[in-house]
Amino acid sequence: MNTAKKDEDSGDLGIFYHLDKTTVLQEARVFNDSPISPRKCRLLLTKIVYLLHLGETMATQEATELFFSVTKLFQSKDIALRQMVYLVIKELSTVAEDVIMVTSSLMKDMQPKSELTYRANAIRALCKIIDASMLPSVERFLKAAIVDKTPSISSAALVSSYHLFPAGKEVIKRWANEVHEAINCKPPSLTSSASSYLTSFSSNTSSYGNTVSTSNISQYHALGLLYLIRQHDRMAVTKLIQQLAGTGRNSYGGGSVLRSSFAYCLLIRFAAKILDEDPNSRQPMYELLEGWLRHKSDIVNFEAAKAICNIKNTTRKELNPAISVLQLFLSSPKPTLRFAAIRTLNKLAMTQPAAVQPCNVDMENLITDQNRSVATFAITTLLKTGNEASVDRLMKQISGFMSEISDEFKVIVVDAIRSLCLKFPSKQAVMLSFLSGVLRDEGGYEFKRAVVEAIFDLVKYIPECKEAALAHLCEFIEDCEFTKLSVRVLHLLGVEGPKTSTPTKYIRYIYNRVILENSIVRAAAISALAKFGVSVPDAAVKKSIKVLITRCLDDNDDEVRDRATFFLKIMEDGENAEKYIKDDATYSLGVLERQLVQYVSSPDSTSKPFDISSVPLITKAQAEAESLRERSTDLASVQTIGTTTSVLPGPTVTPTVAADRNVTPTPNVDQQQLYAQQLEKVPEIAAFGHLFNSSTKPVELTESETEYVVGCVKHMFNEHVIFQFNINNTLNDKVLENVSVGMTPESEDGSLEELFTISAAKIPYDQTVSVYVAFKKLDTSEPILATFSNTLKFIIKDVEDVELVTGDYVLPTYVSDFQSAWDKLGEDGQVVETFALTAMSSLRAACTEIIDLLGMSPVENTGTPQSNSVHTLLLSGTFLGGVKVLAKGRMSFASSTGVTMELSVRSSDEKISQVVIRSIA
Amino acid sequence: MASVVRALLDWLRSLFFKTELELTLVGLQNSGKTTLVNVIASGQFTEDMIPTVGFNMRKVTKGNVTMKLWDIGGQPRFRNMWERYCRGVNAIVFVLDSADLEKLEAAKNELKSLLDKPQLSNIPVLVLGNKNDLPEALSVEEIIEQMNLKSINNREVSCYSISAKNQVNIDITLQWLIKKGKGSK
Repeated sequence: MNTAKKDEDSGDLGIFYHLDKTTVLQEARVFNDSPISPRKCRLLLTKIVYLLHLGETMATQEATELFFSVTKLFQSKDIALRQMVYLVIKELSTVAEDVIMVTSSLMKDMQPKSELTYRANAIRALCKIIDASMLPSVERFLKAAIVDKTPSISSAALVSSYHLFPAGKEVIKRWANEVHEAINCKPPSLTSSASSYLTSFSSNTSSYGNTVSTSNISQYHALGLLYLIRQHDRMAVTKLIQQLAGTGRNSYGGGSVLRSSFAYCLLIRFAAKILDEDPNSRQPMYELLEGWLRHKSDIVNFEAAKAICNIKNTTRKELNPAISVLQLFLSSPKPTLRFAAIRTLNKLAMTQPAAVQPCNVDMENLITDQNRSVATFAITTLLKTGNEASVDRLMKQISGFMSEISDEFKVIVVDAIRSLCLKFPSKQAVMLSFLSGVLRDEGGYEFKRAVVEAIFDLVKYIPECKEAALAHLCEFIEDCEFTKLSVRVLHLLGVEGPKTSTPTKYIRYIYNRVILENSIVRAAAISALAKFGVSVPDAAVKKSIKVLITRCLDDNDDEVRDRATFFLKIMEDGENAEKYIKDDATYSLGVLERQLVQYVSSPDSTSKPFDISSVPLITKAQAEAESLRERSTDLASVQTIGTTTSVLPGPTVTPTVAADRNVTPTPNVDQQQLYAQQLEKVPEIAAFGHLFNSSTKPVELTESETEYVVGCVKHMFNEHVIFQFNINNTLNDKVLENVSVGMTPESEDGSLEELFTISAAKIPYDQTVSVYVAFKKLDTSEPILATFSNTLKFIIKDVEDVELVTGDYVLPTYVSDFQSAWDKLGEDGQVVETFALTAMSSLRAACTEIIDLLGMSPVENTGTPQSNSVHTLLLSGTFLGGVKVLAKGRMSFASSTGVTMELSVRSSDEKISQVVIRSIA
Repeated sequence: MASVVRALLDWLRSLFFKTELELTLVGLQNSGKTTLVNVIASGQFTEDMIPTVGFNMRKVTKGNVTMKLWDIGGQPRFRNMWERYCRGVNAIVFVLDSADLEKLEAAKNELKSLLDKPQLSNIPVLVLGNKNDLPEALSVEEIIEQMNLKSINNREVSCYSISAKNQVNIDITLQWLIKKGKGSK
């Protein structure tokens, strides 16, 4: 028996060996035979599915032909064949046309009187081929199937509904009662085992004829669907969690409603989401999570522990129970549990290393774990939690198996080492030799990039190791297959090399690149050489650099030639050299791009030069901070590799839960870019021309819990002001129609003339729609300050006032040298005034407030005061129309009088200075 | 034991004398195709039926004849798919609501365009004027006249006036169909 089966298997595999789509499609003729042979057809269908899963694609025509041949197989009552038919229908449903053709046949198969195997599969196939318009006609069957006693049918109906939900929200919402019933239903195995017990084991459960699932997976599916239906109603979700958790907790093991561990995991995720969103429910939800740590199922314990570790701003006390659960898992005989626990601890160690410390002993044991992934996580976690003394030993351990782990894990190790370097600068020598060692190993781009970036950080933050690190990098570019990395290293050499004691050492390495590399690297090398030529004071070096660059003038790539010519010219001219090569300021690239695009598309671009002054200047440091932020989000995503090994089968539930983590605040510049794009889509607004500035945060005009949430963003144009009202409808059964906002200036001086209002035709539930109100500034010579009272029209509803303040007219810009810019503006346009800011409780608060009021950018790190008693705040900005404004605030603080400030504002126009200073009062 | 022998005999006999017959039922929506299939299969008449979305497949055994009935939906969106299910069948049954005079013209056009398909040439056609229990129903002669059946000369065409509700002429319809099975084998 056994051998026969084996033979059959190997024979089957042989058939699947060299499959060809064309042949398979030709063989599909057997579907039209009369009478059909179920065995042949089933085999062929299997081949088709196999091909599709190998990634073979079919043209619509082919797929449609095939689909209709397959429908002929409905004449056979062979169960195994019919199962394959369902599968193929599901596969073809997205490619073939007119798949709706099988609707009636499938509906017949899902009737209660048909075969059990047919029913569940037919339901799953049906949901793939119908659309929202068909939903009402199958509603009755699906509702009945959801509460069916057979778990496979109930699951099929629930999962199908889950997938249909986006298309047919309104219909499926009506099924909430049935879904609830599916959660609460008694498992069939329970009743059957009870009855068999009563009849003293005489009847066998297998007499059911069909397999009875004991996994209770349908509860999981039902819970997923119920959440989908209720997800926008936080109260309902909270109630659901408490209801299911409550009964579960009081009667462990007994008749608790939830029996599926997966359902509990889902419940934990919902609870974690609620906890995250609603501060009021933090305590009760935490208590529930804490309770689940003692559930009898491992997976539930783990999910709860993970949820607790992910809570924002947790305290040690809250974390401790979760950590002890994870600690227990660390010594579990099951590798999956060890992996899950160590991965969670590793992530936690990034933010709370001290909390993870108690597990150090257990993690030490995992270093030698057979599973390399577990071992890697253990070591990298220990590197974060351990003390300085253990670093050497751990590093040795890691080097032992670096060659055995995959690139992703190598990146994790390198990142751990990078943060370690910064934590224990005294260990830099060990780290650096480790990094340079792995740099020589084989590895892909991502890995090499991680190593190079780690070394970059060493160069930046640990001056002692700069020279050694640069030497390693030089060696690296000698034999580097990644152009991108070579270019970055060359740039760094150009910046850092001239500052070292022997800059000439690096010139040789750089010039080697000019000789040996492709044109992109050659161009980068030229730029690096030029930096040496400008920055190194030694005249002999300057001379040799000139010689080297001159040699590149006849390079066969024009970019290289251009750069060589450019830099030679610039090196002649000392002042320009400083300006172009050593300049510390850079433009905000996102804004620059947007404005250039706008400039190119505007009709007067041929006659008017591009106005570079409207692009905010930022420091290199700021730009770096930006890229650092991007990198850290990259890191976060690297750290989560392995999340794909999700343990939950069935529908991939609640993307919303997962996606909310790792949300980084969008930087200001990007936000403004978004606004500009939005506004350009409205033709009336596009006519106003260039968007000068948008208020950074929407002003909330309503309480966040009201029926409609209104936020206002102010957009400033040269001659116009636009108020954008973002209105979110939170009434789940109402649609707001014809929504507009009426704005009335509180002082009627006629300086602003309302041009038009762009209203929203309708706002469906849970959607945000923007309504615009545009004003023309009648007097453009002077900024207009005004306050508006607003009414939301559709049902008149009073919302709070919007203010047009000076800050809206000022664009924060950066100057690299405040003092010289200040001196250049002179005292002509200067206004000085002294203020007593009694309400301010500290200098820091005063600074924040003033920056906010003036809408200017603090320079030279004066935004946050170092001292508690005296401080000078330096601010820079550009006023509407491109006028540069600078401000200097000298302030002192005494607890009795609050903050006293002498504010001087300079600009080329005294009137503007006046306006700016008035905004404080 | 006796029953086993009889079963074996039955099976042998069916091997030799069994005729298989494949039929496709088409026609405009609400002409009574699914109802007719039910009547043939189980003798049951049901008044309110839901429109067929796609097709229904029924196997009916009458004596030693097994009929595979493909009952295709009549709504406009399914009409261009009729042809796919008519290829290679023993006969096409076109069901007509003989009391719905307004749709007669559309039915005539659909029948003509179906029979014009080269793939379906020579397949016999049976036109059934259903619902002859209704007072305004057309007679056989009128149907032949109105549907212009005389003009079809490249195949065998027959026409009966039937009533699925009162089971009128169902028997002669079946006889005609069974004859097609025997004739072709």
